[in-house]
Amino acid sequence: METSPGTVQNSQDAGESPRPPEPSRTSPETLSPDPKPPNLSPRSPLVLVVVAFVVALMLYFGYHQARRPGASAAPARLTQLSLAPDFSLESLDGKTMRLSDLRGKAVLLNFWATWCGPCKIEMPWFVELQTQYGSQGLQIVGVAMDDASKEDIGKFAKDMGVNYPILIGKESVGDQYGGVPALPESFLIGRDGKIVDKIIGLRGKAEIEDAVKKALNTHPASSQASAARPEIVPAPR
Amino acid sequence: MGTLRDTLSRHGQSGGATLLLYPMLVALASGIPALAQVPPPPPPVTVAAVPLTTAQRAQQTMVSLNFRVPRGYHINSNTPKSEFLIPTALKMDLPTDIILGKIEYPAGEEMTFPFSPDEKLSVYAGDFTVSVGVHPLHSVVPGKYVMRGVLRYQACDDAACYPPRTLPVSFEVKVVKEPATHHANPAQSPHVHN
Repeated sequence: METSPGTVQNSQDAGESPRPPEPSRTSPETLSPDPKPPNLSPRSPLVLVVVAFVVALMLYFGYHQARRPGASAAPARLTQLSLAPDFSLESLDGKTMRLSDLRGKAVLLNFWATWCGPCKIEMPWFVELQTQYGSQGLQIVGVAMDDASKEDIGKFAKDMGVNYPILIGKESVGDQYGGVPALPESFLIGRDGKIVDKIIGLRGKAEIEDAVKKALNTHPASSQASAARPEIVPAPR
Repeated sequence: MGTLRDTLSRHGQSGGATLLLYPMLVALASGIPALAQVPPPPPPVTVAAVPLTTAQRAQQTMVSLNFRVPRGYHINSNTPKSEFLIPTALKMDLPTDIILGKIEYPAGEEMTFPFSPDEKLSVYAGDFTVSVGVHPLHSVVPGKYVMRGVLRYQACDDAACYPPRTLPVSFEVKVVKEPATHHANPAQSPHVHN
């Protein structure tokens, strides 16, 4: 059987162990530069330099990225004992309230909306908790994450008998608190301004009350340094 | 990897390992668990593909849009029982000379939820259909037209509610000429001889 020369060559190659192509019969002087890649052995200085450069870049950017908490456009990721992000928002009565002005008090920061059914269930509980624990230093603050008008929010709050300040929320503030993807969402902030607990969605009143007690049992940052116990929070009921 | 090992051995393995260990520790530290698990956003309401609808000029044709609310969630009906609840509403933007007819929403299901044990809410859960009337005027050139709109809704589950969302909706309508009107002459015998 006749085959083309090329075919014969191929079949022969296939049965042999790989070997470098045979050099052309032309003289070495006429060849183009050596087609072999440059020396890339692990000990090559070029490889070492490249690896060192890449590692240095990774370390540099990894370190700086990790040290920039607000670098990402994504909502903040809050952890227990994070300092509660500060903000200023307008209240229903037109005044501006700053969260950090409440330092020294235990704060229940409740994100809610008029269209949120579960939020409506919590509000009477908050009214009761504010009445019960207000004298011990609890301050409940509602933040309405709502498209409704200020008047409608005010009407809703009045209908619910709210006895704590309601602030008109902004998306940027929601982002500071992790984006607030679902309502209701409450943050319990200790007297030192640090977040001690977070409650997402409708839970029982008892669970909220436990979290309130936890926040009340913290101490203002300034008094932590002093040896004397600053305040004894009486056990509720 | 051998190259990296060589590099480390030449420059002092312990120092190199420390350099590598540091960003790992930083990465671990940034992974401290959050206070509470943030629930994933609810899967969106979906709309089934709408088959091509033929609409005659100068009359209204109803087009059905079939929506599905993900299991475990509900959205308010078009007529929720509280002024503060956000109704599900379809808003259409039709081509020129195609008039939007009536939009028919189904009645909501009367349901109670753990967060509203004493008050029944009017909601859509599972599948529901909204019908839209399209009315091409006589001036519309016959052919296919795309109707676009959005369904605005606000979903909740048993314990939490999610911000309002919009679902883009579109469907095609093939506009055809109205049938030729037959001008019937008054009944009269052509052969009347008086």
